[in-house]
Amino acid sequence: MSIVSDLLAQPGVIAAGEYAYRGDRFSYRGALSEEHARMASIMCRATTMGTNMESAMLEALRPGSGLHPPRGWVVRGPGHTVCVMANVFCLLDHTRGSINDIVRLMRQALGDATNELI
Amino acid sequence: MVILDDLMRLPGAMAAFEFRGSGELLEHRIAYPDRINPTTLDLLAHMCSANTSIATMQARGWEQMTAMKGFYPVQEFTLIGFDWSVVVSGLRRERHKQAGRSSLPPFTGVVLANESADYEAAFALLEGGGPAS
Repeated sequence: MSIVSDLLAQPGVIAAGEYAYRGDRFSYRGALSEEHARMASIMCRATTMGTNMESAMLEALRPGSGLHPPRGWVVRGPGHTVCVMANVFCLLDHTRGSINDIVRLMRQALGDATNELI
Repeated sequence: MVILDDLMRLPGAMAAFEFRGSGELLEHRIAYPDRINPTTLDLLAHMCSANTSIATMQARGWEQMTAMKGFYPVQEFTLIGFDWSVVVSGLRRERHKQAGRSSLPPFTGVVLANESADYEAAFALLEGGGPAS
């Protein structure tokens, strides 16, 4: 199964998808409209690009930190969480699912993903 | 700073810190001074402050455009690096705002080693308690 299918099988996952780093395409599955999924993929891609730039700057200024290269990020609200690793995003109802499990699954599947296209 | 000492007891905790909304580092604790220092934490604080603000803007816009709830206010922003993760929270500030207080407490964050990181335990600690008196 693909990582997106694996994520959708996890408790609490509302939707999951992938975006191209160059921003010209995306795909998703789950309970989102096409337009909302497009908007989510754009926001996730923008934040991923930003965190990569910031991490590279941190590495240049303070070499050897354990943050570079970055693998992903998580934003948690009162009921929902967005988890992003490499070019894969996942929207989670964290009252019904485990953020630890989602991050573990994404790290296992995507931890070695190349960031050459960023 | 009891919360910083509590955060340092999390599995894999490497550092804990507090910072202003503008990103300036305030208090900190460091477990491994040979690997992480206050300059690194100051840069991280600025980075996390910026990302939390952007995520807050996106969450607010997302909720208004989609009518989905539960994204705003952003409670934690987490950056997952190659070996470390940084988890920061501004929830204490939100509680102060909701209580109508004009003086806001700082953001709080923790640096964790990925291999032993328990993100939900970090969230629980960062979200614990009400407004400081």
